[in-house]
Amino acid sequence: MQLIANGILKENPIFRLALSMCPAVGISTTVMNGLLLGIAVLFVQVCSSVTISMVKNFIHPRIRIPTYTLTIATWVTVIDMVLSAYMPVAYAKMGIFVKLIVAFAIITMRLEMFACKEPVGASFWDGFGMGLGFLIGMMSIGFVRELLGSGAILGYDVLGFKPLLFFILPSAGFFVVGLMMAFFNYIEIFYKRKKGFKA
Amino acid sequence: MKDIVTIIFRLTLSCLVAGFIMGTFFILTSKAKKHNEHVNEEKVMYSLLGYKDASEIPDSLKFYELYRYVVSGPGGKFIGYLVPTGGGKDGGHSFVSLDLTGKLADIKKVSISSENAMDKDSRDKAIAAALGSGKDILYADKTIIVSENAGRNAYLVTGKFPGFKNFVSVMLALKPDFSVQGLAILEHEEDPGLGAEIEKDYFKNQFIDKSFETLKTLDVVKEPIPEKYLKALENRMQKDEAEKIRRQFKNHDIYALTGATISSRSVTNGVRGIVQKFAYRLNILDTVLKEQKIVVPF
Amino acid sequence: MNRIRIRLISIIALLCAVVPGLVYGAGFISKQSFGEKNQIKLRFSVQVDKAKVADIHKYTVYEEQDPDILLPIASAKPDPDSKGVSLTFKQVLNTAHTHVVTIKNLDGVSSAVAKVSKSYLGYLISILISALLINNFVFTKYLGLCVFFGTSKRKSTAKGMGVVFTIVMVVSASMSWFFYNYILIPFNLNFLQIVVFIGLVSLTVQAVDTILRKVNPILFNSFGVYLVLVIANCVIIAVPLILANNAYNYYETFMLSLGAGGGFLLALYLMSSVSERMQLAKIPPTFKGLPIAFIVAGQFALAFLGFSGLQIF
Repeated sequence: MQLIANGILKENPIFRLALSMCPAVGISTTVMNGLLLGIAVLFVQVCSSVTISMVKNFIHPRIRIPTYTLTIATWVTVIDMVLSAYMPVAYAKMGIFVKLIVAFAIITMRLEMFACKEPVGASFWDGFGMGLGFLIGMMSIGFVRELLGSGAILGYDVLGFKPLLFFILPSAGFFVVGLMMAFFNYIEIFYKRKKGFKA
Repeated sequence: MKDIVTIIFRLTLSCLVAGFIMGTFFILTSKAKKHNEHVNEEKVMYSLLGYKDASEIPDSLKFYELYRYVVSGPGGKFIGYLVPTGGGKDGGHSFVSLDLTGKLADIKKVSISSENAMDKDSRDKAIAAALGSGKDILYADKTIIVSENAGRNAYLVTGKFPGFKNFVSVMLALKPDFSVQGLAILEHEEDPGLGAEIEKDYFKNQFIDKSFETLKTLDVVKEPIPEKYLKALENRMQKDEAEKIRRQFKNHDIYALTGATISSRSVTNGVRGIVQKFAYRLNILDTVLKEQKIVVPF
Repeated sequence: MNRIRIRLISIIALLCAVVPGLVYGAGFISKQSFGEKNQIKLRFSVQVDKAKVADIHKYTVYEEQDPDILLPIASAKPDPDSKGVSLTFKQVLNTAHTHVVTIKNLDGVSSAVAKVSKSYLGYLISILISALLINNFVFTKYLGLCVFFGTSKRKSTAKGMGVVFTIVMVVSASMSWFFYNYILIPFNLNFLQIVVFIGLVSLTVQAVDTILRKVNPILFNSFGVYLVLVIANCVIIAVPLILANNAYNYYETFMLSLGAGGGFLLALYLMSSVSERMQLAKIPPTFKGLPIAFIVAGQFALAFLGFSGLQIF
């Protein structure tokens, strides 16, 4: 369970490790989008971690990276096909971002640092934690943008008017992510100061 | 040396396993994909005709698909229609070829059931077989004729035209006199909050009840929608009051979306183009069907 | 050395696109083009009778995909030197579609056909500009951000990364095009797109790495370290996916990949210029590093929004 908490807070892929930011900026216009992509990434992360962890003894050290890439690409293709078959409307909104999961540095890095050394169970929870961190990050950005941009959450009109259309425009993704990162930074500095005082 | 051999062996093995997994999933999901596409299309069709879902449709309402092809061969270019001729359990079809001036060129019988005709590959194959070699066929578009008791209730036409960014794909429901019964936006790539508002009711519903003559000269006007009209379009008032207001604005131009004049214009021009071309072609086809006394179930 | 070679290759490719167009205009109708919003201009290879040319019933014009819908001609004005005619139409022409013009029974020629469309070279250049500015991969499509923020700290790293990326982009896009059209489609293996594309990218990176190491070690020392980062870049796999989606032909793929690489280079360069200045500015500690970089990128993205809807050709 500590691994999960790690993935969400201390090593949150979007806000702390600053990896895989492409979708965070691009399609986090609504909570629903963030949720769906987050689930896709969670699925790929967990499956890849488990697969690599299961075959870690068979991987020749010189072909590590191609093997990781192959595994990730396989699982991405699978989730891509499943989503396009069963949820075509939502899939159309995400465009090519589902296919681009294969290029996310976070998944490859996680496999390199964790899955190829740790047993299957630990890899599963680590992958789950990372994916969950990504999911929560995407949903929170989507929440802010949707609320401020179209006054709705998950499609339900909450405010009844549109405060700042700017936030739905794709470029606002940059601003929101930047501000949220600053917020996380602030929390970290705050904690360090507190610890500093105590010590 | 042994190293390289092991590497290649393991890599090939993993590639094969990966390919196998993906292949299985592909076969499993492609059927579901086709089915879901069909279901989504039906949902849009039913909502355009005013029904909430499939259960509200009366049993006497039938849907007939009319497919249009462009046939090029040694004799020049022809427009061919795959017309359902009804009768018999097989639900036979006829392929009616018209030359470019609208005169009948050829009629060939095509035996294919309505379900199989919905799949593009089987349809193309059946038509090519009926026409013989030497002719190239290119699929153009499809019209759905909604019929009740051998009469015509509505036409469902799809079309694609350029919007502000890339293409906009729409489905129109037309009454037999070619006035607009409903408009549904199927696909677009417009900006969210600006051009994407073409999906909203207060824009789409402005097209409802516009007659064929009004469509010919329909333009976009850059004024805000009057409050009452807006309420009527979004179905926020009593039905008879809404009717009265709609009738008032029946021949008015389309009110443009704020900050999306170009998108509004492209939709207006696109709808006009689709309806004009459809009316022209259907009239020609009807004339020929009547002359040749071809029996059709609508 | 590499750069000169690349420039040479791109010039030759552009010429190959232009020359066929120049050779095409043989026959009775020597040149055809779109005039103003609702005009088509034709030039003939011989002199023609002005009265006969002005007869609008001799012409049939339709858009290539709708051969049964004949466009109504308002008037036909012959050119002063009797070697051409300007057809004016009642409605505005949709110049994005190819129009087919047929002339019957004019001066001994029983029929002549001409296809009028916008210049293909213009279309190719518009793809390039679109990938470069209007749909800039970093600022408008939000791809390739990880690497973007990592290497945009100094101008020299930015330039290096941009150039390496463009080279790998063009090479891998071409290979992906070949693979897609000659292997994936004929064998109906479309679902292997992702695996094949990323495989080709890794292969290209590996090949460029080995070649560069042997051919020009100096260049390798300055640029080689960026090669590894190319694989983690979302753009490198986005371009093959786009070309597969739109079924581009080879020239269009080349233009797209060139524009994508160029756009990335442009974005990196702009960002690094600002970044260098920012390092000297006073920034509150919470914003130092990535947050302020994001906000600056956001402002750039807003600026690039101004390019949307740009149409040169």
